[in-house]
Amino acid sequence: MNVQTIREKTARQLGKLNFPLTQLELEKIAPTRDERLFLVLSIFIGVLSGLLVVSFRIAIEWIKILTLGSAPHAGQFRLLLVPALAGLVVAALVQLFFPAARGSGVNQTKAALYIYNGYISFKTVVGKFITSALAIGCGHSLGPEDPSLQIGAGVASMVARRLNMSKQRLRLFAPVGAAAGLAAAFNAPVSAILFVIEEVIGQWSAAVLGSIVLSAISSVVVARWFWGSEPIFRIPPITLRDPRELIAYAVLGIAGGFAALVFSKSLGWLRPRLRAFPVWTQYCQSGIAGLLVGLIGFFGFTQVMGPGYESIDQAMHGQFTWKLLLVLALLKILATTLSFSSGTPGGMFAPTLFIGAMLGASVGSFEKLFFPHLTGTVGAYALVGMGVLFAGFLRAPLTSIFMVLEVSGNYSIIVPVILANMIAYFMSRALQPVAIFEVFTHQDGLELPSMEEAREESELHLEDALRPVNVPVIKGAQTIADAAQLLAEAHASAFLISLWDGSWHSMTADELTAAGATSTPDTPLERVLPAERAPVLFPDMPLDSALHYFPRWPVLPIMNRASRGTLEGIVTQNDVLRCYQEH
Amino acid sequence: MAVFQLRTVLTPEERQQRQRLILRDTLALLSLFAIVIILFFVTLALFHSFSVHRQELAQRWLARGEKALHAGQPLAAIDALRSALAYAPDDDTMQIELAEALAAAGRTQEAVAYFNTLLESRPGSGMINLQLARLAARQGEESKAIDYYQAALDGTWEGDGYIRRREVRLELAKYLTDRKQYDRARNQLLIAAGNAPDDVNIEIHIAAMLEAAQDPANALHLYQKALQHRPARLQALLGAGRTAYDLNRFLQAREYLERALNHPDFEKQPSEIQAGFRNMLSDSDHILLLYPGDDLTIRARAIRILGNKKIAQERLADCLSSKTAVSQELQNLASQWQQLPSPLRLLQLEQNPELEQTIMQLVYQTEQVASRECGAPTGNDALLLKISQAPEAVEQR
Repeated sequence: MNVQTIREKTARQLGKLNFPLTQLELEKIAPTRDERLFLVLSIFIGVLSGLLVVSFRIAIEWIKILTLGSAPHAGQFRLLLVPALAGLVVAALVQLFFPAARGSGVNQTKAALYIYNGYISFKTVVGKFITSALAIGCGHSLGPEDPSLQIGAGVASMVARRLNMSKQRLRLFAPVGAAAGLAAAFNAPVSAILFVIEEVIGQWSAAVLGSIVLSAISSVVVARWFWGSEPIFRIPPITLRDPRELIAYAVLGIAGGFAALVFSKSLGWLRPRLRAFPVWTQYCQSGIAGLLVGLIGFFGFTQVMGPGYESIDQAMHGQFTWKLLLVLALLKILATTLSFSSGTPGGMFAPTLFIGAMLGASVGSFEKLFFPHLTGTVGAYALVGMGVLFAGFLRAPLTSIFMVLEVSGNYSIIVPVILANMIAYFMSRALQPVAIFEVFTHQDGLELPSMEEAREESELHLEDALRPVNVPVIKGAQTIADAAQLLAEAHASAFLISLWDGSWHSMTADELTAAGATSTPDTPLERVLPAERAPVLFPDMPLDSALHYFPRWPVLPIMNRASRGTLEGIVTQNDVLRCYQEH
Repeated sequence: MAVFQLRTVLTPEERQQRQRLILRDTLALLSLFAIVIILFFVTLALFHSFSVHRQELAQRWLARGEKALHAGQPLAAIDALRSALAYAPDDDTMQIELAEALAAAGRTQEAVAYFNTLLESRPGSGMINLQLARLAARQGEESKAIDYYQAALDGTWEGDGYIRRREVRLELAKYLTDRKQYDRARNQLLIAAGNAPDDVNIEIHIAAMLEAAQDPANALHLYQKALQHRPARLQALLGAGRTAYDLNRFLQAREYLERALNHPDFEKQPSEIQAGFRNMLSDSDHILLLYPGDDLTIRARAIRILGNKKIAQERLADCLSSKTAVSQELQNLASQWQQLPSPLRLLQLEQNPELEQTIMQLVYQTEQVASRECGAPTGNDALLLKISQAPEAVEQR
């Protein structure tokens, strides 16, 4: 389905749902309806997303038990057959019925937000649920978080459409649902909120923040009602035993940076190549990927199949040797690259956490073995490792830090987390300038805004365009003749008028001439001025805040916040435009 | 629900539209609510069936794991217990059994790492410290093992802590005994005995361990305590007889051994063991026939002393004749014998208790020196040598 078709469909739906009222009529008879409903619906979206995500996870577990058995172990032929057959079925479903279910879900949600006016179809939600559950449950090396995010966004989109929300509101609902879906999947509302802000909407928007928080909290309440308040993994006690241990965490940051690079490069290399094959091959790519992942499991590394939460838990509790942990991290990179690049629906979060946990636990176990007096728990390293990969691979530094804090419930780990995560993040940025989600969007032929760039964009302020007062400044009590004389002497086209109450007015030479034509030259200026006054602007205000005043005001006075009525400088339309051009 | 600004002036048609909108929004929200309720119950049903199934799987794999562990198949047990833990990750028993299976499979490093991680989450756990102590003992890390045992004793135990602590203490005592640290072992055993309930099995068990820790006196005391229970247990009688015999308390030994040999269960013992105890009883009888006890008449004592003197002198003579070069010790002994009045008569002995004592001292000294110089004695010499180790204890009760 192309963009135009979806846009038309959205418009049709909006038109149909608003019948018999147009948006304008709605705004007239119920001007605050959207705003109030937005908050109420956020709670409904949270609850619905929470319930769906719980069902989604149960579905994955049931499928896993029914297909791979309750305890898959090396040498079972079903480990080869099940992921391969599931891959074939999933590929057929995606190709024939649910094309929008392909991929992780994060970029699809962003596309819904930026391209399709927040529209995610019911079919996409159903498709994502079925295909992802089948793929992940049958052992493909993918996770349920990103699909949960898309399912949540889809629920939000459906609810908003059902309630005839305005186009602007409809667009805002996608991140609200995304936060709810992710929060329920992670059982960590703060991380979900931050991730949606960092990776989906790219900015702190007051208009949507309240609803995102409401929906995330609602969905987590629902998820915890079922799963309990414990995080996904059992967190061992965490302590920073010795400040020298930070060296080991720094090493973990470096290792994580390299692992993130290898992971992104592998995906960036393989995914476009597989997509370039003829269309008919896409029916069997998932099957082949499943077979290869199954082979890894068949030969003794069943831990890499599926999301791998149990293995993360085991690694956190010191159940593997450091060599095995390292092997598992490398094999997970391989397995996830195969599964994801083949177009199998499923997320990248769980594999990223898995790789990070294995890498972290490996560093921790190594240190415990060779420097036992220095190190804390292996679990602490595994936890920090998860954050490291999150920062390095998914490039969400703030989320990565808060995720570890939220999941561990331990503030004392913050120093190692920040240190290791930032090392990994900066290494990853230096070695791989384009973030992985952007790489995927480019590969898919889309142009979505780069959240990383958006975060770094420096906002321009009026002070950047400010210039000294180089136009005549005349008091309101002075006459038209005085003003005309001053204007002529200064060869200026406009001037500022300071009024007795501290307010300001600006006037062009033409306006002065027009005023002179209707009044005598000795008439004070304040008598001929209209009631309106120049807007009160300050240097720290955004540059674009001045733009809409220019058709009316040729020169805008910029005031000092500390001293009422004192001028800091002036800006004109040309100053503002030049400032934009220069930056 | 729609909320409107009441200040807005609306036409009658617009007011009608507003009412329709309120109705629509209300219905939409109610339908959403209904969907939430239905979905909730569907999810609840799914979740319930899933949870029950998970519990069943956890128990099924735990049972398989335990069976494999008891059947000496630790590798199969590891797989099964790991599977069980996937469905019940917080189950302490499973975790400890998994670590035990790892240790049993020789994957000591993994087991230690696993237990260490468990210990970090439950630092005071007696069970985990005990397992770490066993692993350290297996790895030959003696001081670490003892520290972990001590931590296990000081640690927390769920439910039957009192019993488990005693078991740990006995295990530590056995470990110390095996390492020949008898004093420390004895201390642990005496604490265990002091804290133990009045239970015959426990008393017999600790007494046996005290014997192994080379503390027959306390062992005998515990056996005697055990014998206060009726009916008397064969193990207690045998233990008491054996320890009394070791302590040279031959009178007591004979009493216990006679009772043991008459015990209905004695015949069920292996024949070698039966023979061993019969020999012990026979030796005790003979010793009591040789020993010039205080309860004898003066004449009878004198007769026994003279008899013992003859045995010792013959032993000395044999020893001297077998030697080409006679040691100073033997020479001194021979000269001491020569200094005694000769011939020595019964009457002399009856009238001179000091002489009796001197002769018996010489007898014991002769048997001890001869045993060192000329090899282990046999027959009456061997019995006299045994008496010489603690003559005052022979008739002690």
